[in-house]
Amino acid sequence: MDLVRDCLDKQLVDRHGRRMGRVDGIVIEIGGDAQPRVASVEVGVVTQVSRLHPRLGRFAARLARRWGKAAGDPYRIPWSQITATGVNVTAGVEAEKTPAFAWEKWLRAKVVGRIPGA
Amino acid sequence: MKKMMELALGIVTSVGGFLEIGSITTAAQGGAIFGFKLVWAVLLGGLCVAFLVEQSGRLAAVSGHTIPDAIRERFGFNYYLFLLAVLALVTLLVLGSEIGGVCVALEMATGVRFQWWALAVALLMWLIIWKGTFSVVEYGTSILGLVTLCFVAGAVVLHPPWKQVAAGAVPTLPSHDRLRYWFIAVSILGASVSPYLMFFYSAGAVEDEWKEDYVAVNRFIAGTGMGFGTLISVAVLVVAALVFLPRGIQVDHYSQLGLILRDAFGAWGFWLVVASLFVACLGAAMEVTLELAYMVAQGFGWNWSENQPPKEEARFSLTYTAFIVLGALLVAVGIDPLRLTIFSMALTAATLPVAIVPFLFFMNDSDYVGEHTNSWFSNVVVVAIIGLAFVLAVVTIPLEIFGGG
Repeated sequence: MDLVRDCLDKQLVDRHGRRMGRVDGIVIEIGGDAQPRVASVEVGVVTQVSRLHPRLGRFAARLARRWGKAAGDPYRIPWSQITATGVNVTAGVEAEKTPAFAWEKWLRAKVVGRIPGA
Repeated sequence: MKKMMELALGIVTSVGGFLEIGSITTAAQGGAIFGFKLVWAVLLGGLCVAFLVEQSGRLAAVSGHTIPDAIRERFGFNYYLFLLAVLALVTLLVLGSEIGGVCVALEMATGVRFQWWALAVALLMWLIIWKGTFSVVEYGTSILGLVTLCFVAGAVVLHPPWKQVAAGAVPTLPSHDRLRYWFIAVSILGASVSPYLMFFYSAGAVEDEWKEDYVAVNRFIAGTGMGFGTLISVAVLVVAALVFLPRGIQVDHYSQLGLILRDAFGAWGFWLVVASLFVACLGAAMEVTLELAYMVAQGFGWNWSENQPPKEEARFSLTYTAFIVLGALLVAVGIDPLRLTIFSMALTAATLPVAIVPFLFFMNDSDYVGEHTNSWFSNVVVVAIIGLAFVLAVVTIPLEIFGGG
């Protein structure tokens, strides 16, 4: 598998096929004499912004710590739970219960759910 | 049987949904000032859009992914964000134009100034999108949109000199106002080859759950639908050439549009224009709104679908709500809808390269389209369209300054 071509930026879906974001970043561990190892994938605004510029990323991280709804943004999914399937990437998790859905749930509860007909 | 039904509906959608404020005003201005000389621009625009829409539908049917999806996946986050920023800005102006078109129709019908209608129109659009499904938005407005065929009837009734109309299919330079001529040509192209149309079409194919066996259906719908749609645009240009040119009316105020069908249908003509403008612009405004929200949601990987209740996709539904508010504000503050339309159509032409170049990559990527990659012929056409798009992008802004007046 080619990490950048087949994994980075792909649609991330949970175990039920629900869209839960995109693979915004890939974490690779490099340590000692061991071979580099793909540890996890990252999802979240902080990772996205870091790709524009690292300094912007640090700024976004500060904002996220202060105002964010997701504890521990960016959210990391261990590589062991990831399977790349065609043009999607599947994570063996429940999207609703992850920080990737924190804003979605907050907006649903505080805003959209209060508008009639939602 | 199901497919025949979808085929019929698909063609109705393309025909009834083709006209919008941009294609109406640019074609009307072209006809009013230059007679049949700009028929070629309408035809060229229709031809380009048919090819690009076919490819958008094919991509979505085979891969289940839309164009914004594929752009993010193949070109990365930064390119996607750049494209989003550029397109969202221009498409928002287009949305303002469409909402303005609905308001102009209401002003023509009631005499109440257009900007007073902006919030009511925004609320109506929002309610339909909030409560309705994709089929309601798509088929509802398209079937009502068949009223725009009145322009074709009008053109036939007026017995235009068909030989001269046909001669307009070959570009020739006018003896006067050359800058204006090219500016309108660019606006006509921008009104027909708009990225939002292709992006929306690909999202629609996913919403309607097209699969790989729809490749042929898609080709037929794209070809015939865009063909008939282009015919209606040509009809608008022809009617404008016959009605406005002899009287020296240059369509510099939207209220003049109301006269366009009077020679053909008398007093009824006025109401046909009002109905056409209302339905066509309302349909287009809702499609543009959804497209803006799709583009954001797809690029970030959020859950999106017009078929789910809003609370299942809070971020998506709030995104379209916000865009409706912004679009309606452009009209409510009193920006002239006609100027906004002409400006945003030309600007659309300037954004084409960034939106169309990616086609060349993923339409030849078997990860996406499997065995249905572009033929060499389609690739040649896309390269030609990209070439045209670059020319448009370079000339638009200078023309806007020197030929827009």
